[in-house]
Amino acid sequence: MSCALDCELSAREEEEFLKHLAECPECAAEFTEAKKTKMIIREKIVRVKAPQSLVESILRLGTHTNPQAEGSLLFDQL
Amino acid sequence: MVQGNIPGKELKPVMDTNEFSEKKKPRTGRNTLSREELKKQQEFQQEAVTHINSLYNYALHLTMNPDDAENLVQETYLKAYKFFNSFERGTNCKAWLFKILKNNYINRFRKNSREPGKVDYDLIKDFYHSIKDVRSDTSEAESDYFHSLMHEEVYQALQSLPEEFREVIQLCDIEGFTYEEIANMVESPIGTVRSRLYRGRKLLRAQLETYARKYGFNTDSEE
Repeated sequence: MSCALDCELSAREEEEFLKHLAECPECAAEFTEAKKTKMIIREKIVRVKAPQSLVESILRLGTHTNPQAEGSLLFDQL
Repeated sequence: MVQGNIPGKELKPVMDTNEFSEKKKPRTGRNTLSREELKKQQEFQQEAVTHINSLYNYALHLTMNPDDAENLVQETYLKAYKFFNSFERGTNCKAWLFKILKNNYINRFRKNSREPGKVDYDLIKDFYHSIKDVRSDTSEAESDYFHSLMHEEVYQALQSLPEEFREVIQLCDIEGFTYEEIANMVESPIGTVRSRLYRGRKLLRAQLETYARKYGFNTDSEE
């Protein structure tokens, strides 16, 4: 069921699954509900943009303008 | 194995070796980037920095605090940049970054966080209010009971799940990772991921129906 929902079935498995759904109203109903739940999560969980300051500081990585941060990372790992 | 080497505590000896060999290099030309460094930077921006919004959202959901999330993302990218050479080209860079972020989160934040399984609803409310301004509203055209649910409630329902369930649902439904990628990230077999997804969604559905019932929607589809 989960595999079908997440498009993780092989073509043959999917064919079998759909065949079963056509014959089994219980599974068909459960599958509809499961699809709905997945959709609701995708739709209702709010996505925010990363703050511009953060994006900019990450774009500067590698330009050596951030020696302090690199230093603390080194310290952190040792 | 899908991913390349993941910077994290388990690979520490390897990382330290890299670290030292890097530090031993002469420090000349610090202000002018070498051609190699420029190439690396360009590739890093194309491959890794494009996922910054997803990483930030994931960090927000883990920490529930914008400042912590920002630090976590910053640290993740610092590590990723440093060890970008060990990223296996052609594999999913977003999955690699998520794994680094998760490791960082465990090392840094989780030790002094709230008890597992305990949900602080006030914290969720505050969190939601703090990000409400920037959200993009979805259309509410359908009169389906699920569509009556508020963002906040769906979020609460998700947060009320045990962490192992919540995590796989987030990675699968929100971030769109494959089972194989998720299995690698949570360090469990694919079968475990599958069963967690199944059980987690069942729990989530029950929780959402409770909210829906509050609004007087009849959720018993058999009747």
